[in-house]
Formats: sequence, structure tokens, C-alpha cells
Amino acid sequence: MNPPRLADRLLTWFCAPHLREEVLGDLHERYALRVKGRGATKASGRYWLDVLAYVRPEFIKRKPEEYPNPAMTTMLRSYLTIALRTLLKNKGYSAINSVGLALGIACCMAIGLYVVDEWQYDRFHANFNRIYRAVEHQKQADGMHNVAVTPGPLAPTLTKDFPEVEQTVRIGRWSGTVGYKQKVAEATGMLIVDPSFFQVFDFPLVAGNARKALSSPNEIVISESMAERLFGLNWAQQPIVGQPIEFTKDDHFTLAGVAKNPPVRSHLQFDVLLPYKWLEKTDEWSQKWNSNSYHTYILLKPGLSDASEDLARFETKLSGQLKHYQSDTENTLYLQPLRDIYLRSVFDFQTDWGKRSDILYVRIFLAVGFIVLLIAIVNFINLATARASQRAREVGVRKTIGAKRSGLIMQFLGESLLMTSLAVTISLVLLQTSMPLFNDLTAKSLELPLHEPMFWLALFGLTLVVSLLTGLYPAFFLSSFRPVQVLKGTVNSLGLSVRSGRRFRQSLVVGQFTLAIALAIGSVVIYRQLAFIQDKKLGFDQSKLLYVRMKGDLRFNALRLKREVEKLPGVARVSATTSDLVDITNSSNVEWEGQQPNDAFLITNMNVDADFVSTTGMQLAAGRNFSWRIPSDTSSTMGAFLINETAARRMGWTPEQAIGKRIRFWGPLGRVVGVLKDFHFRPLRVSIEPFLFRFRPDNAYFNMLVKTAPGASSERVIAGLSSAYKKFEPVSSFQYGFVDQDLDAQYRTEQRTGRIILYFSILSIFVSCLGLFGLAAFTAEQRTKEIGVRKVLGASVASIVTLLSKDFLKLVFVAIVLACPLAWYAMNRWLQDFAYRVDIEWWMFALAGLLSVTIALLTVSFQSIKAALMNPAKSLRSE
Amino acid sequence: MRRSDLGEFEEVVLLAVAALSPSAYSVSIAEELEHETGNAVSTGAVHAALQRLEQKGYLRSELGEATAERGGRRKRLFTVTALGGRVLSDVRAVRNRLWDRIIPNIRLEWS
Repeated sequence: MNPPRLADRLLTWFCAPHLREEVLGDLHERYALRVKGRGATKASGRYWLDVLAYVRPEFIKRKPEEYPNPAMTTMLRSYLTIALRTLLKNKGYSAINSVGLALGIACCMAIGLYVVDEWQYDRFHANFNRIYRAVEHQKQADGMHNVAVTPGPLAPTLTKDFPEVEQTVRIGRWSGTVGYKQKVAEATGMLIVDPSFFQVFDFPLVAGNARKALSSPNEIVISESMAERLFGLNWAQQPIVGQPIEFTKDDHFTLAGVAKNPPVRSHLQFDVLLPYKWLEKTDEWSQKWNSNSYHTYILLKPGLSDASEDLARFETKLSGQLKHYQSDTENTLYLQPLRDIYLRSVFDFQTDWGKRSDILYVRIFLAVGFIVLLIAIVNFINLATARASQRAREVGVRKTIGAKRSGLIMQFLGESLLMTSLAVTISLVLLQTSMPLFNDLTAKSLELPLHEPMFWLALFGLTLVVSLLTGLYPAFFLSSFRPVQVLKGTVNSLGLSVRSGRRFRQSLVVGQFTLAIALAIGSVVIYRQLAFIQDKKLGFDQSKLLYVRMKGDLRFNALRLKREVEKLPGVARVSATTSDLVDITNSSNVEWEGQQPNDAFLITNMNVDADFVSTTGMQLAAGRNFSWRIPSDTSSTMGAFLINETAARRMGWTPEQAIGKRIRFWGPLGRVVGVLKDFHFRPLRVSIEPFLFRFRPDNAYFNMLVKTAPGASSERVIAGLSSAYKKFEPVSSFQYGFVDQDLDAQYRTEQRTGRIILYFSILSIFVSCLGLFGLAAFTAEQRTKEIGVRKVLGASVASIVTLLSKDFLKLVFVAIVLACPLAWYAMNRWLQDFAYRVDIEWWMFALAGLLSVTIALLTVSFQSIKAALMNPAKSLRSE
Repeated sequence: MRRSDLGEFEEVVLLAVAALSPSAYSVSIAEELEHETGNAVSTGAVHAALQRLEQKGYLRSELGEATAERGGRRKRLFTVTALGGRVLSDVRAVRNRLWDRIIPNIRLEWS
């Protein structure tokens, strides 16, 4: 016969502990009385009421503690003092910890600055979220291609047909020189734009009217830097708007405005803006649907932006827009948001000009930065737990005196906060001093935004996160000691606490070295691939090969200039061409003898002259070269073609069979007179494709290739070229370059990534070894007595060194085993980007592994040898 | 002497303690009051009153013996202090004086 348990539970919950006994006793006694008098059911009902009658403040209020409960802050001073004392007492550990952590944090911050910089591109536009670019899925003979350019007439139809579109801007590319009176300047970025350019984008005019500028065909807008070049440093004081600007012979341009220089973080860069209206007048292609040459930017109405359903509906409607106006096309449109243009543009045929970066490399850098930080954090955790035994007594004493676990956890977290703050301070200094190096590495001009509150907020957040990461495990580990065990003395409490958590520490060391070794393997592979690219025979001799750009009318007078250049001392061979051999993407449809109805492909092409083969050192696989003396070679009715081996193979011929076969390219029919051996005309990322050469002396040549004679000084040749050039084309600037340098520049991103990964892998190995050094020193210290006894009993120095180093080396070996597949997987994926690549070979793993083992061995043996050489008399005396 | 700090219920409880002494505790008092008044009286109310009276110095308490029906828990036994006794007799004196002044005829009309 028991009272309701639930009521009892309720009462025990709310009733103050010191009253519980008498209250419960009273209740139960009365219940028993009631059961006797009126029966169990009624008694239970009453019982509930009775229990509820105790819900009064007198019974709920807990009795105040007998001893005062100090607030959290009371112990702060003690914690701080102890923290500083431990820091100073173990200077070595403190230094290792703070330097390692500072390096990690500095890396992380540097990468953070880089990523923020990349991320901020184009965000200065007020309409950032509403601007999109219409881009095209284009059907070509060999399949679908993504191109960033669209037909000129598209933009006006968009505003007309879609209520969602607020405004559109077409942007085209042009080149040339602009002049004012005697001054002439060559534009570095000449864009052809609609007048809405200034409304859609935030490129303000410092002079002129942004509402009206570029609305008539003969207006021109220049940037501040161009204004400085044309009008002098004090251009702002002159009334330059409305002045005549010379641009072409036939048209007279007036200056309609001066635009602020475009910000660095803009994918659109320009110094001269021309009106689209002028282009419509001069270039009939700009009004045709079947020519793709212009970027079409769309400003959507507010409320439509972001991934809404309306936007998806608009994109569906938009995709058929080309078909609507040009029924025979299979090309479709889609939208690319402005935020994706800088980092996520992948388009074919070099249709996407302007500044670009790659999200892949942003990700790689982010990963690498975090790896270094992680390694540094692991160091901290390792050393803090390894040294736990030194703090064990303190924990024991504190607990005995009455410290609670929560207090101790706060203490140790506070210590790691102190340490992290120290590291952050060091890292700021480090970063400030190494900023030029980092900028050199990333080809940016970053600096620490010391006066931005966001930066300090981020720094504060980073400090908190890092100190939590570093401090959490040690804090819980250290505060878990039982005072009885620690203070008893009979039990070797030190040994006990060192053992505990050893597995954990070992796995952390393995993790550290796995990451560091994987990075090392990565940099070996990247450097191998870069060397491979450098040494790869391209099929022509790119050394000592200069190119000179043909500008203006010189494009049609190239052969006259050529005859002049050939006489220059130091010049071996000269050839006029349309391309400079660096990344040629100009491709078109081709028809050939024996072509199957459904068979088609795109062939890349360039115009050359008869000296091209000898100038570049290419080799014929069959047939003959173009000749000046054979008139049919340059004939427009039945001309001659050279093709490469791949093209011959693609058309189903061996080089020998190809000779004399008929090909139709860009209208006229012609015969293949020779087949050239394959050569690389695009970066090694892509495989060799079909190529075709034409000999068209009457067409424009855009480049002149100049092979300098062996032993001739390039400076003298360039000087000679420059004066010859000026004779024919005094207006435009003489522009030249070395083919091998430009070829090299194609791999700049890879070279940069390689260097960054190399530096970071060195850093990560260094930081890992810093931690290993600390651990080794600690172990050696712990085993001083053991070593002393061993030495007394006759152990050799070598055996002791082995004994101490063995454990650590084992960990490094495990790390190598783990790192290899990891690195292999990552590097294999990176190499997939290259059609021509090195194989990942075993020696790359071996090299990185051997390197890390050697460095780890050096680190550990320094401590082990020191310990092994100690005089046993000394280490054993102090007992 | 402040009179106002002795409520009516408190006064009854104090009286009950005096009447039930030496075995006055929550249950016995509550039972007694229930028996005398015919209304339900919870031990919670009584206990609270006892605590207040003890705080005021009219009662003192000690833990008594445990019994089986209490589940082995001890009871808190209350006794009236000298101060408590004086307060009780003061209250009674006031009442008596007032009773005595009631005209006998009126007393007859009530009953």
C-alpha cells in the first residue's frame, strides 16, 4: 500500500533537499492514516492534493550553501599568474607552440586575404545581384561548345521581348591607337559598348554626362589613365570634354567623358570606350545573327534575381531566343550570373576575354592553408597533453582545495586563449613582413587591412576558434585527473598520465605527417609536370624566335617589312603569319575529298608564307613546302594547303596519301601539297588537333616571326626591328615578344600553384617537425632516469638513440603509407587536366617519404643523442 | 509586543502545538484541526505555518523518531517556547476581556 510514486517524484523534484525527509515522512504517515480510514483510492486523491499544497516558496527555496561560492572571476588572477609562470618556466615548449601556431595562423590569414580578394571581384556594382551574361551553347561540327559571345542583334530583342529585362549592354573588343593633337597612345583595353554601360555597371564618369555619353556614333570615352597619357598630368584642370580625338582616318571622334579607372577587382578592364553605334556603321557583321562576337550583359528587374522560380522560367524562355530569330540555328542561350564570371568561366574558342581566375585554385589554396593551421593546432594539443604530468599535481591540489572541474576547464581554455593570442600577434608581424613574398607568389597586391573593423572581428573570431580547438581536448584531459591518484605519490602518477592519451597523441602525429607528406608528394609531382612541359618537344623550335605584331595598314604591307627585316644583321629567317604560335584557337569547318555525309570536324588554321617552315623549324612528313615560285600555291581558285599529320589521319589518309587530295576551306577548293609533322599549337592540357596552313600573301598578316641567328644579340635585333617597323608604321607602337616566353606564360597558374604548394609543404613539414621536436624532448626528459640506468648497465649511445627514435620514426612510416594513396588520388585528378602528362612514379613517393623521414630523424635524433650523451652519474644522483 | 504578526491560522496552529505537546508535528496537528473544525487541513499548510512560527521564535523544533508508516523518515516535533506561551496567553486575555464585555442578552440571541 504505497502512495502514488509520480506524486513522490514530483515532490522530490521541487522540494528543497533539506526539507525532503520530514515532508515526505509527513505525507506518507498521513496517507497511511487515510488508507485506514477511507480506503486507498480516496487516500491517493487526497495525497495528490497534499503534495500540491507544498508548492510554496518556503518549501521550494533551497537552503543557502554553508560556504560562500566564489564567482568565476575570483580566480582569474590566480589563473593568469599560473599561466604566465608555466609559459616562462617552459620557454622551449612555449616557443615551439607559439611559433608553430603563429606560422599556421599566418598561412591561414594570408590565404584568407587571397580568397576574400578573389571573392570580392565585381561586387562593387550596385546591381551586382541583378546582372547576368547571356552565353551560348553552340553547335559545331564536332559537338556542342560553350561560348561567351552572342550575336549583335540579340540584345535589343531581349529588352523588347522579355518584360523581365530592364536593360542590356553589348560589349565588344577592339584595338588601336587614339590621338589628341600630337600625342598618340595605344589603348590597352578598348571596349565597344552600348550607352547603357554606365547605367548597368558602376563605372562613374569624372567628366562628361553618363546619361548621354556614347549615344551617338562618333563619341569616345577614355579612362583617367588614358586622359593622363593624352592630356598630361593636369588633364582634370583642362576642359577636355568635347575635344576632338583621332582614332580612324575616316571618322572624327569627340571626347564625351572621362571614366574613373576601373577598379582592380573588376573582370571588365578598359581605357577606351567606343559606342556600339559606331560599330554598327562600320562593321556589317555587328548586325547579323550568324556572327558571334559580343558579350551580352542583362540587367534583370529587381525581384527576379537569385535562384527564384521566375528566374528559371525566364532562362527557359531565353534559351529559345536565337531560334526565334534565326530558324536554322540549334544554338541555345543560358544565363551566367555576374558573380560566376570571374571565378567560374569555362568557355571555348577564347571567346571570354578579360581578367579570369579559377575556383579550383582558390579551393586548393584554401585546403592547403587549413592543412598548415591544422598541423599547428595538433602540435599544441600534443605538447599540452604530453606535458600533462607536469600539471597533474597542480590539478590535484586545486581539486583538493575545492576547485570544480568547470573552473579547471576554464583555466586551461584560458591558457590556450592566451597562447593563441600570443601566436596571433606573432603571426601579424610575420604576415606583415612576408606580404611582399606572398604577393609575389600569388601575383596580387594584397595588404593587411589593418584599419578595417571586419578584419579585426575576423581575427578575433579566428583567435577564439583556434584557442577552442587547441584547448578543448587538453582542458578536458587535464581536468579529469583524480586528486587521490595524482597526489598519492606511491602510484607513479607521472607515468600514468603520460601513458594515458598516448594513442591519441600518436594518431595526431600520424595525421600531421600524413598531410605534410601528401603536400610534399604533391609538390614533387607538380614540379615534375612543369619540367615535363618545359622540356617537351613542341614540334617546332621556339628558342630565339621573336614575334612582332603587325598593326594598322602594316597588316597588308607585311611582306615589304619582311624584305627589310631580312637584311638586318643577326636575323636568320623571317616569316609573315596570322598567328604567333601561342595557343591558336581559330577553327572552322572543312570539307575534304571522300568525306562521309555525317562526318565533320573543326580544323584550326593560320595563314603563313613560304618561309614559315624554315623559320619555325617544323618538319615535313610528306610532300613539299609552299613556294614563292609556284603561282598556284597562292591562287584563290585552286590553291595549296599544308596540313598536319593529325588532320591527314582525321580525313582518313596517311601523309603520303594526303598529297594531292582536294580540300575545301573557307570557299575555294585547294590541294594538299604537304603534310607537316604534328606540333603543339595549344597548351599541353589539350591534345593535338587537326591543323591547316594557307598561303595568302594578299590577305592581312597579323604577326611576323623572326628567328635570330645563333650568337646574335637579341637587343640589337630588336632595336633593328623597331626602327624598321617605325619606318612603315610610325603611329602605332612597336610590340614584340619571345615565343618561348609566351608559351611558358600559359602555365603561369600551374607554376604559381606549384610554388605555393612547395612553400606550404615546406612550412607544414617544418611545423610538424617542430611538434615532433617538442615531443621528443619531452620523452627524453621523462626517460632520463631510465637512460641513466641503461648506461650504467652498459648500453651504448647508439642503442639508446635507436631506442628513443624508433617510436617516432614508426609514426612517420605509418604516415607515409597513409599519405601515398591520398596524394596519388589528388595528383592524378590534377594531372587529368593535361592531355600530355608525366606518370606518377614510385620514386616521387620515395623521394618525399625519404625527405620527411630524414628530417624527422634529424629532429628526433638531436634530442635522443643529447639524452644519450648525458652523464648517468648526473641524471641518477638527484633522487 | 507586535500583535499583527500572528495570523488567525497561525494562532490556531500555535494553540494546537500547545495542546498536543509533546508529540506535536505536522500530521498530528493537521489531523487534530481537521477533526476539530471539520474542514480539510493539509500538512503543507500546517508545516508552512509551523515554519513561520519557528522563525518568529514562538516555537522550537527537533527531529523525532522514525516510524514504519513514514517510510523510516524522522518527524519534526514542535514545542512552544516561553515567548510563544506568553503570546498565546496575551491573545487569550484580550479575547477574554472582550467576551466579558458582551451584554448577556445579546449572547442569548445567538444561541
